[in-house]
Amino acid sequence: MNIAKTLDAKGLACPMPIVRTKKTIDTINSGEILEVLVTDKGALNDFTAWAGAGGHTIVEQKEEAGVLYFYIQKA
Amino acid sequence: MSNKVAIIAANGGLFDAYKVFNIATAAAASDKEVQIFFTFEGLNLIHKQGMHALEMPAGKEHFAEGFAKANVPAIPQLLEMAQDLGVQFIACQMTMDVMGLTKEDFVDGISVGGAVTFLEYAKDAAPTLTF
Repeated sequence: MNIAKTLDAKGLACPMPIVRTKKTIDTINSGEILEVLVTDKGALNDFTAWAGAGGHTIVEQKEEAGVLYFYIQKA
Repeated sequence: MSNKVAIIAANGGLFDAYKVFNIATAAAASDKEVQIFFTFEGLNLIHKQGMHALEMPAGKEHFAEGFAKANVPAIPQLLEMAQDLGVQFIACQMTMDVMGLTKEDFVDGISVGGAVTFLEYAKDAAPTLTF
């Protein structure tokens, strides 16, 4: 996977992971992939809802050692 | 589907501030147009001094530790984030008159308006939320 940018949002509480993700995705081009690292458990549903609202695609997500990884392709 | 979210902030405690600004920033970060109408005690949330000293409900002061532990941003920080994301703040003129407050008592970038201003905005917003 070709990752354009990585955002480390570990340790941040809602709604900051989404706010930071929004700001970061604004800096990449359509079709590029943003990697986001989060520890907020609410993010699991939030990122799905947020991506849906913006038309972005979560191409992959995983959990490793308590950290959630999202790979979001910008619409 | 509406792309507008309308929020009424009518209470002035710390918990109220989090409810209002969390939902507002989350909506703005999801590309929604967001307007908050601050009325009565809700005006505390955008008051230059008041927003730094918002109180927890009586008997709930022990949550202060939880806020710190959960790494929740401070209210002035969330407010700035909301404005940065384009959230519009409207202060209720009538309440300001009752409380003897002027536009200068509030953070920069707010507008002052009446009930009709909010209703006109909210008529095609979904959802409209009240805190």
